[in-house]
Parts: sequence; C-alpha cells; structure tokens
Amino acid sequence: MNKLFKLVIITATLLLPATGFAQDDEPGDSDSLKMAALEALMSAPPEKALPIVDKVLAGNHSNEVKERALFILSQFDSSEAQATLLRFAREDTGELQVEAIRMIGIGGDKEALANLRDIYQTGNREVRDAVLEAYLIADDATSVYEIAVSADNEEDFSEAVDMLGAMGARDELRELRSRAGMSETLIDAYAISGDYETLRELALDSSDPELQTKAIEAMGIIGGDEVDNTLVEIYRGADSEDVREAALDGLLISGHDEGVLELYRAATDPGEKRQLLEYLVIMDSDAIYDVIDQALAGDR
Amino acid sequence: MNDELRKLVEAHEADAHRPSPHLVEQWHNAIDEAAALERGRQREPRQHWHPGSFFWGAAVTAALAIGIGIGFVLSNNGEPSVNTPIVANVIPETSVTPAAFTRGLAVHLRDSRQQIASFDEDTDRTMLVLQIIEQNRMFESAAEYNNAPKLARVLRAFEPILLQLAASDIAPEDAEALRAQLAFELNVMLTKLASESSDESHTT
Repeated sequence: MNKLFKLVIITATLLLPATGFAQDDEPGDSDSLKMAALEALMSAPPEKALPIVDKVLAGNHSNEVKERALFILSQFDSSEAQATLLRFAREDTGELQVEAIRMIGIGGDKEALANLRDIYQTGNREVRDAVLEAYLIADDATSVYEIAVSADNEEDFSEAVDMLGAMGARDELRELRSRAGMSETLIDAYAISGDYETLRELALDSSDPELQTKAIEAMGIIGGDEVDNTLVEIYRGADSEDVREAALDGLLISGHDEGVLELYRAATDPGEKRQLLEYLVIMDSDAIYDVIDQALAGDR
Repeated sequence: MNDELRKLVEAHEADAHRPSPHLVEQWHNAIDEAAALERGRQREPRQHWHPGSFFWGAAVTAALAIGIGIGFVLSNNGEPSVNTPIVANVIPETSVTPAAFTRGLAVHLRDSRQQIASFDEDTDRTMLVLQIIEQNRMFESAAEYNNAPKLARVLRAFEPILLQLAASDIAPEDAEALRAQLAFELNVMLTKLASESSDESHTT
C-alpha cells in the first residue's frame, strides 16, 4: 500500500465524527480504531501528519483520543507541534493539560520547557507535579532547582527537592543546602540521589542531633561497603544512645547483618547484646541460629 | 627499577584494559541474536510472555552496559588512554545512533508491550513491572550514551506510568487505562523506529 493511500485511510478514520461512527459498535471500538490510525501517522511525513493531528485535537473526540494525539505531537520536531502542546498546557484543564505538560517534557524543546515555569506558578498541585515530572523527563535539573529555590511554602519546596533526589541531581541538592538550609527533606533527597559524601559529613556533625541521626539512618539507603563500614564505625564511636540506634537502623536498612554480628560478638554489656540480637533476628541473618545457640549455652 | 617490577609494569600496560576479542564477539552475537529473534517475531507474533525473550533483552542490555562500563573504566581517571580507540570499535562515539542500539531498543519495546499486554490474575504484576523498569533504565542510559536524547526522554516518561502500574493497590480500571496508554506509546515508538530504519535503508 503506498503512503498516500495509507494517509487517506488514516485521515478518513480520524476525522469521522465520534457520534456517527459505526452505529453497531461500542464507542470504545471507535476510539480504538482512531488510536490505531494515530499510531500509523508516525510513518507519515510531518507536513502531512501534523494537520491531521491538529484536526483531531480541535474535533469532537474523547479525551483519550486527544491524549494520544498529544503524544504523537511530541514526536515531531516542529515549532508548530510545540506551540500546540504549549497551548494545551496553558489553556486546557484536567487530564489534557497534564498530558500536554508531560509531552513538553518528552519533546525537550528548551523554549517550551522554559514556558512551563509560568504554568507552574499559576497551576494547582496536580499541574505543579506535572511540571516537575516534565522536567524530570527532560532531565532539566536546573529548572527544578529554580523552583525549589523560589518556593514560598514547604510543600512546593519538598516536592521539588524530592524530584531532584529522583533525578540524582547532587550538585543542585548541595547548592540548596547553602541556599535554603538543611532539612529532613534534603537528607532524604541526598539518600535517594546516592550522595554518600554529604550524608557522611552530616552524620559526623553533632551540632543538630536530630538531623545527625536522620543522616545516619539515611546512609543505609545508599548501602555498599563504604557506607556499611562507616555505620559500624559510627556505632562504635557513638557518644549517645540515639546515635548508636540510628547507626543500627542504618545497618538494618542497608542489610549489613555481618556488621551487626561483628558488633554483637564485640559487645560485653548484656543489654546491648540483647538489642543487637533483636536486630539480627529482624534482619534474618544466616548466623542467627549459631548466635542463639551460643547465647543459650552462655558463650559469647 | 628491578626486572621483576619492570615485567609487572609491562604486563599491566599490555593487559586487559581492552576487551578480549572473544568478549567482543559475545556482545555482537547477543545483539545479532536479539535482532534475529525480532525478525522471527515479526513473522510469528507470540501469544504469551516467554522468559527467554527477557533473557535476550537482558543480553543486549548487558552488552551495551558492559560497553558503557568499559568506556568509563578506560577513561582512566580523566587521563588520556592509549586503549580508548579499541573501545571505539565496540560502541563508537558518533553523532549517529548506532543501528545495533536501535534494534536492541526495538526488542525492549516489543517485549515490554507483550509483557504488559499479557498480565493476568496470576501474574505478579509488581515484580514484572519492576523488571521492565530496570530494563527501561538501562536502555535510557544507553540512549543517552548513543546520542539519542529524544529516545532517552521517551523512555524516562514511561517510568512514572510503570511505577503507577506496579502499585499493588491500583484499581483494575486505572491499571487498564495505564496499560492502554503504555501500549499505545510503545506502539508509536516501534512504528517510528521502523519508519526511520526503513527511510535509512531506502536512502542508502
């Protein structure tokens, strides 16, 4: 089948009125056919495909069909396609607006991405989350950082910081520490982004005991030999029960049962041994039966 | 420098910073077999998910990941390395997306579509979707490395939807809507890849 003939069939399918199509079929069947036609548009040249997609978006079709049409638009590198996506992101509401914002992320057009900042400012929570997700898709950490810096409430700040963590944007997160001060939200993001160096620094800083214990626990999320050894060292050198327990929680999260076993064998205080034994049980350590056997026999 | 030390240094310099020909052959075989499997599937579509297909997806991914990994190792802490051109034979840093990557990606998209379509009540959906996410992330990294940022963005856009689908408390109708959306977007990407590959073969 030649391309022109295919295009005629696709156009006819897509532009049939939604209500008058195939009376015997369920509405879902009509939508399925239109979506199949939209898929096929990807093999058409942009100059032929774009006007058809525009007509679908302007026509009387279900939101689902229009959402699929927006995805098709995101796959065309043209200013017209980007302008249409931006129009939907600005002027529409609900699912179509959110989907248009996501498509701008997929398109990755710098100008369209910059325009999302205004949409973020005037949007509700759902729209704001969609903008953050679009920046995640476009791998635009700078824009998320700017949102975090200019946030005027805890929720906006925390959502932006979480997103930076998911993006692994360590530089931006470190910069935020100096701009916005330390917070538990930032510590979580350091853990998710795998920033061991910053967490270690915070874990060894006793000036704010609450943040220190939070950082120690969060190191467990990163895991790995270096973290495991540091947590064991922090436990050994702890000058408070809170720090010691945070180190144990970190070891529990990272699953380093060998380290806990080592601490158990070195402990001499019965209370401490009992606590370490409880952690070994929770961690389902392979050595637990030997340890229990030795404890019952009165050995170390 | 005594003789023993000199021999050690020479042995180190001559060593295995380059991948062995045998290893390189294995990577190419993995990619070729995945491509052959893809061609086979086009003739005879599968009705059910087959773990073997996942293996081949993983094999291609592993080949790409090992290539990327060795690329990083050979960067030798930022110092120029005399061995780098050898790596360039495995995955060249060119401005064109390599055909082997595109074929591997098509296998991944096709497998993902098939697996998502074949969920049933007995499927451990969370585990299966997490496996797809893991594969997806590897292809996303490979897309960035292979000069295909647009493909990387599309792959990244799949992940939030997949994560929603992985949730165990999702309502059946919501799961169905997400599956339909993913199926459409995967199909569009497969059509696009096939179309681009066809255009390239027509122009060459």
